[in-house]
Amino acid sequence: MSTILSDELLSELMAVGQLDVLVGLPTLNNSDSVGPVVRAVHVAFSRELARERTALVNVDGGSTDGTPDIVRDASIVDRETLVASQSLRTRHRISAPYHGVPGKAAALRTVFAAADLLQARAVVVLDPEIASVTPESVAALARPALRGEADFVSPVYVRHPLDGPLVTQVVRPLFRTAYGIALQEPLAGEFGCSGPFAARCLEAPAWESDDLRLAIDLWISGVAAGDGFRVTETVLGPRRLTSRPRPAVAALVPQVLDALFTCLRLQEKAWTSGSRAGAGRCTAPPTDPTDSPPTVDAAGYAALFREGLSALGAMLEPVFRPPTLEGLRAAAAPDRAVEIPDALWASAVVELAAAHRHAAISRDHLVRAAVPLYLGRVASFAAEAAGLEPRGAAERLEGLCLQFERSRGDLVSLWTAPSR
Amino acid sequence: MAEAIVVTLRETWSGYVDGLRLVIPRLLAMLSVVAAGWLIAALARAITRKVLAWLRVARLAERTGAAELLRKAELPSAERLAASAVFWVLFLGFLLAGLDALGFATLTALRLEISILLPRVVGGLVILAIGLVFANVVWRVVLLAAVNAGWPSARLVGSAVYFLLVTIAAAMALDHVGFARSIVVAAFAILVGAAMLALAIAVGVGAGPLVRRLIDERLAARSRPDTDGSAHL
Repeated sequence: MSTILSDELLSELMAVGQLDVLVGLPTLNNSDSVGPVVRAVHVAFSRELARERTALVNVDGGSTDGTPDIVRDASIVDRETLVASQSLRTRHRISAPYHGVPGKAAALRTVFAAADLLQARAVVVLDPEIASVTPESVAALARPALRGEADFVSPVYVRHPLDGPLVTQVVRPLFRTAYGIALQEPLAGEFGCSGPFAARCLEAPAWESDDLRLAIDLWISGVAAGDGFRVTETVLGPRRLTSRPRPAVAALVPQVLDALFTCLRLQEKAWTSGSRAGAGRCTAPPTDPTDSPPTVDAAGYAALFREGLSALGAMLEPVFRPPTLEGLRAAAAPDRAVEIPDALWASAVVELAAAHRHAAISRDHLVRAAVPLYLGRVASFAAEAAGLEPRGAAERLEGLCLQFERSRGDLVSLWTAPSR
Repeated sequence: MAEAIVVTLRETWSGYVDGLRLVIPRLLAMLSVVAAGWLIAALARAITRKVLAWLRVARLAERTGAAELLRKAELPSAERLAASAVFWVLFLGFLLAGLDALGFATLTALRLEISILLPRVVGGLVILAIGLVFANVVWRVVLLAAVNAGWPSARLVGSAVYFLLVTIAAAMALDHVGFARSIVVAAFAILVGAAMLALAIAVGVGAGPLVRRLIDERLAARSRPDTDGSAHL
């Protein structure tokens, strides 16, 4: 523990004493967005969680834009709101740098270590990149653990089924197939959990692995789903991201795929054992989005899929089984619209995961070669769902997840097969 | 007369038998060296294959693309190829040592020439092999980057880079062997220089506006992957 917490942070934490709710806020140059998040947390502390002993712990990765100062100032600025809400408890606010290589994994490890030290009953981790954090959403993530109803609380955002295709077409169905739990947002950067769950995460040897640096969000969801913790979901409303530029899709898809497959590799003992199909269903009610469907450049994606598969086909031969590669090549035929059926897509993703596990080709090359395939599937699904109402599109996504679940046996056998 | 014939025959046969007495032990020595060499080389081949299998060289070859390259060339796997190379290098070494045992001046001179050339050839082959693997890795990286950036003619770009690197590796290998060094250097310089000059003339002088228009049209008509991936998460 002492190696995880810096002396500065340790001395500040020792002054706090036992806690009910600890909110962790990992930051790194988030000066443009962190202020409203801190204010929402403090309003939640004094209104929604007024009877609980609370603390906000901001762990900073070495921001050079004054983020820690903004965290401190935000709480001072918000004093009037806090006084008006007549909080019953002292609200603690700590901002300190963390040890180790900058990154969310090291930050979360520090938050969990702080929660363990202070014996927090509930831990909420927020993402400063999400601009739609409200006091209600902070409380919603904390309450199930406070009431002892769940060990891990995953968010559900109200959004159109065509929004976030990397989550809906790849991460969600494969995560559900492996772990048997239908989480809407396994990749979410914000979550709630119980003190024992944080302590269990701290014990994992995976923290020492470099692999965890990019896969931390999925790894946390995977620990919850794979180690038998009580998992629940809570609806947080629409998600709004900050306006800072993000990686292009050609960089984002490899990052997410690498994180997903690495997460499966780190937890392979947990998910490959036994049958997990339908092992858990979360209870979040269905949500009806008010937003219009996002625009998808289906024709452009289809062209990129065709050209990509044509150029990379030989490279992908060690990755896919012949029927899958043939199916993908047939889908890329120039004389008709791109159509990648659910079964073919499930096979492709499962085989990509297994090829990543066995390093059939360089893992970096593998995830980059998957970009055109992903774009082809997005084009195919967008064309198919174009005439559907949001609820109908959501049902199609559920059908995709069920198709993935049917390929669980395939996933496990390919995954556990000896490497060549 | 008869006596002279008998003496001549006796001397001839005596000289031939003396020659055989001299050669047969040397021949047997050579054969024993070659046989021992074959056994040692075969043993080294087996050990090499086991060690490379233990080191998972096949997997490394798959990851770097070397295996794909060997399959295209209809060559055996990387493990078998490396083991065969070890076998032949050792066996040729013993064969040359065996030829030396015969004691023929011509063969000794030949052995000396081969023993000078052999390390160069092996070194050249190693340079070529490393160059091919490197070219393959770079080709993959360039191709993936070009495809994912939505570049026109991604395969052409990848192939051009691959061809350039293989040409450099081949020139380096031939230079190391010392094979027609001046011709290789001159040919390489002429080839690359001519290609660059032709490209410069074609784009800069001869067809500048046309090439510009073609590139503009192709780029304008193309779709590129989203530059902000937020909507995908």
